[in-house]
Amino acid sequence: MPNKNGSVYGLTILSPIINDDKATPSHDLQIRDYLAKLSTREDSPFAVAPGTHLARLVVLDDVIYVGMPACEEHLKSKYLIFESNCDGDLDGYLHGLADAIADHLDAIWKHCVGYPGAANRQAFVDYMKACQLNTTFYFAAVNDKSVEDTLRALQTQTAVADFIATHQGNDPATLQREFIQFATELRARPIPRPGSMGSLRDIKTGGHNE
Amino acid sequence: MSNINGKVYAMNAITPMKPWKTWIVRGILFLLGHFKSLRQDVVDLSFIEFARWVVLPRRGFPFLGNGQERENLQYDYLLFFSNFNGTWNQYIDAFSAVLSKGLNLIWRWSEKFPGSVPVTNFKQYIALLQFDTDYYYSAYPNAAANDIESAHIVQSSLDQLAAMAERSSPQQFADAYLRFVLEVQCHLGATGDAPVAG
Repeated sequence: MPNKNGSVYGLTILSPIINDDKATPSHDLQIRDYLAKLSTREDSPFAVAPGTHLARLVVLDDVIYVGMPACEEHLKSKYLIFESNCDGDLDGYLHGLADAIADHLDAIWKHCVGYPGAANRQAFVDYMKACQLNTTFYFAAVNDKSVEDTLRALQTQTAVADFIATHQGNDPATLQREFIQFATELRARPIPRPGSMGSLRDIKTGGHNE
Repeated sequence: MSNINGKVYAMNAITPMKPWKTWIVRGILFLLGHFKSLRQDVVDLSFIEFARWVVLPRRGFPFLGNGQERENLQYDYLLFFSNFNGTWNQYIDAFSAVLSKGLNLIWRWSEKFPGSVPVTNFKQYIALLQFDTDYYYSAYPNAAANDIESAHIVQSSLDQLAAMAERSSPQQFADAYLRFVLEVQCHLGATGDAPVAG
């Protein structure tokens, strides 16, 4: 199935945004305003809810006119795009979102047509599925590891580099004893929180050389 | 708005296609999905964490009633979402240099696609079709695709060494440890901020 690559699911959702002339600011701007203030680090909603590797939310204002001789056409609605690369099956992922971050989901999707709210789990899942687009081709560089697997592995990678650097030239008995202790401690170490393994940086606009 | 989170860049692009051409694109992407050799160049480039193409038929835009007007479009649309490491310029340059045949095969069916070589026209086309990301999250923002792949290799090798560490003699362990170091030495290194491109 093109939505899946190995154990990773490529979710694409396109939700029509309410088009209300009387709303000030307009619903699409209210979504953008909310998203602009949302954390992208360990207190991000997607870090709190389980199973998201990478995700984006994008307001699609219109389709793009590429110039003559192509026809110029426009959308009648703006759309909220939710693109997520997540673990497991779709139902489990959507239920996980609704359980963990219902307030954020409601604050964002309440500006979309027909959104029933996350409190009604089944209606929420049905709504998301009604807005889902099937992926035609999905590529995942690593497709058999969960978010936790990757966070643990990245922690291990750094710890192993430190261990090797500090244990050069040890005699075999010392090396074995200290390695066993190191491996035991590393196993017991808590997995880093999703979104936490990065230093704070100013928001980047994504200019062509950034 | 931010297209970047740590070492990852979120690209969104949308291109119009005449509906009859959509089926050709679907066929090409089907083959790409089913024959590993056809996507080997993408794997070898190793700076894409996740990417997808979505063919969106002109009558396939979600319609939910409740006062929403139904779309009335002439074109089908090809949506492209990519999560890549490096800068926009590096990404498009690499695509143009390494994947030009593959890109042409997929995008030549889109209206006014100029071809991926020469790169100047290709960049202008992508810049026209790209729309910005409003919110971008990564569970591991400071790790590039290569870091992730390497980290899993280190984890797997460490697990194997740990499994035998307690039931081997010190000398047997020292030999296994040496093999382990040789195995993982190319996969170590710290994650962190991406270098600043000039």
